[in-house]
Amino acid sequence: MNTGLNRTRWEPYVWLLPSLLLISIFVVFPILIVFKLSFSEISKAGVIGGFVGFDNYVEAVHLPAFKTVMLNTLWWVLSVVLLSTLLGFIIAMVLNQKFRGRKIARSILVFPWATSLVIQASVWNYIIKYEYGNLNNVLLNLGIIQQAINWRSSYQIEFVWECWVGIFVTVPFVTFCVLSGLQSIDDSLYEAAIVDGAGFWDKLRHVTLPMVRPSLTVSTVLNIIYVFNSFPIVYTMTKGAPAHKTDTMITYLYMLSFYERKKGPATALSVIGFLILCLCAGIYMVSVMRKEEQL
Amino acid sequence: MKKKLFALFLIVALMLCMVPAAFAADDEITLDVIICQYGPNTNDWFLGTGMDGSNFVDKFEAANPGIKLNLDVVSWNDVYTEVDTRVANDNAPDILNIDVFANYATEGLLMPVKDYCPDDLFEDFFPNFIEQSNIDGTIWAVPDLASMRALWYNADILEEVGVEPPTTWSELEDACQAILDYYDGEIYPWGIDMTTDEGQAAFAYYTFNNGGGFIDENGDWAVNSEENAEAIDFALGLVEDGFTNPNPATQTRYDLQDMLAAGKLAMMIGPNNMPTYVSDKGGEINLGYVSIPCADGKTASGVGVMDRVMAFKDDSAPDQEARNAAIAAFLKFFYDPENYVGWVSMEGFLPAVNSSVAALIESDASFEGWLNMLDTFHTYPSSKAEWDQCKQGVIAAEQNALTGADIQAELDALQAELVG
Repeated sequence: MNTGLNRTRWEPYVWLLPSLLLISIFVVFPILIVFKLSFSEISKAGVIGGFVGFDNYVEAVHLPAFKTVMLNTLWWVLSVVLLSTLLGFIIAMVLNQKFRGRKIARSILVFPWATSLVIQASVWNYIIKYEYGNLNNVLLNLGIIQQAINWRSSYQIEFVWECWVGIFVTVPFVTFCVLSGLQSIDDSLYEAAIVDGAGFWDKLRHVTLPMVRPSLTVSTVLNIIYVFNSFPIVYTMTKGAPAHKTDTMITYLYMLSFYERKKGPATALSVIGFLILCLCAGIYMVSVMRKEEQL
Repeated sequence: MKKKLFALFLIVALMLCMVPAAFAADDEITLDVIICQYGPNTNDWFLGTGMDGSNFVDKFEAANPGIKLNLDVVSWNDVYTEVDTRVANDNAPDILNIDVFANYATEGLLMPVKDYCPDDLFEDFFPNFIEQSNIDGTIWAVPDLASMRALWYNADILEEVGVEPPTTWSELEDACQAILDYYDGEIYPWGIDMTTDEGQAAFAYYTFNNGGGFIDENGDWAVNSEENAEAIDFALGLVEDGFTNPNPATQTRYDLQDMLAAGKLAMMIGPNNMPTYVSDKGGEINLGYVSIPCADGKTASGVGVMDRVMAFKDDSAPDQEARNAAIAAFLKFFYDPENYVGWVSMEGFLPAVNSSVAALIESDASFEGWLNMLDTFHTYPSSKAEWDQCKQGVIAAEQNALTGADIQAELDALQAELVG
């Protein structure tokens, strides 16, 4: 009997051990290494030297492009996460209705999500290309425009295109997260709300939103992490050009490390990015959990 | 009991697997080699069937018993990441083919060429090429190939418009204006690449041909000279006047070459292997080339690009002499005209050794004109340790200037960074 109790105590840890081991080797250990590197001197060729304190951090924040890149990252994360959440929520509401072809519509929605980001970004590059782009071709053939439009006429517009592609590939993920939440809502809740005289907006506010909040929390937190760390879209579409004006933090630190060979500041930036991400995700999680406790 | 026996069996099997490797280690040397991917044929030539049905590795190993090659062909996009990661992990390749070398040399990672390169082979390299890898009297790398840049033009378009290929900047502006007027913007007169791929080349094309350049006559950094600012201003003026492709910061040379092949672009500065590229792309245009145009009253300067082969130190190698001999064998086999001519001509590059010149001209007479241009060969100051910084700096300066910044101020800031 006693042996059985002991076994119940340690058995979960045994089952968790492989996962913990893998996470330690492939996640925790590299993070610790990057922290250590950010306080070390790293040569242009990659040779690791001694401890340099916060020198790499000081150099990183004084780089000419630092401010632009941080602002870009803020806009990138906010626009992609907020707009994809909004669009994903609306599409999930539509797909939760009963209509003919619903299964096909849901299947189609998976495509952007299932395709690699590099392919998605390359395809969009072709679509908006000035010279032979599909968008110009279609508009010209339909007679909507008389001559081709340069859809990438300034770096600000190029950045908007990057955000749009980010939204386009993120919407399906949000949609399916919200859809799973919507499908778990018991119809009796809506029936009760109707009996109480609730309209569409009342049902949305008092039934749907509280019930899908856990799904939205998961999708938003994961999205913040995914979008912040997203590399392929920006790198494929502009490589941060001109002069890092369309870079986000992740592409910038890559360019810094492997193009400009400033590896010390690059590791410092990656630590800063990690801490920002932990902070954002932490604040969001705590605030949501508090609200759930209040409910 | 059965489980213990099984575990014992696995351990014994693993140990037995290591026995041949242990025996082999005594009399066999394996060289880790990284080669950059120059085009679609590189991988096939080194590892596939592109070398008369065989490949470089198989032929080398057959000709050099006791030396094995662990050779990777890596794309130019990834090679810096791969090499830096390997260096950081104390696992640098034995032999590396890449463009830059100064960082590795100044950080003490490379072996001097005299330690492994046979004298007869060393004498075979073009002297002005070998000098490009000289730091304070020590040669740290050998050239593997080169490409010359020239102004390529669509002869049909120029003939239709009635302009001659330009040789000076004012002729270039006139030709661009004539093409723009004639085709009403349907065809770009001039191509410019100021991307992170080749923005440094654009800097060289214009500054070299205005009496400027990256360094002065003493070899000191001089990126902010008046000539340089004037030259880049001229290039930016071409963009502002609508003579060029619309997005020079994101449209690479390959995008421009595609446009040239498709008849959408009239003129651009590109490498000597342009005809191969255009025909591979199915382009059916009449190509012509002339020297890169220079500023009025200035002397035209040829711009070339050269890549290198270098050997990293490996203090853990049990027999340094045998390792050096293996590296020498690799170089001798690679530069043997029987192999090297195929390698250079395959992607349409120019050779780096005298011994292959005659055979190359025999295989393709058009090489002769390009080889004659090698006398005016000017290239990047890649033997300076700050070259990476300079390269990225001039690209950033150009790109900032494209968005309205003052080019002189940008170059002044870069100069201060380089000499500071």
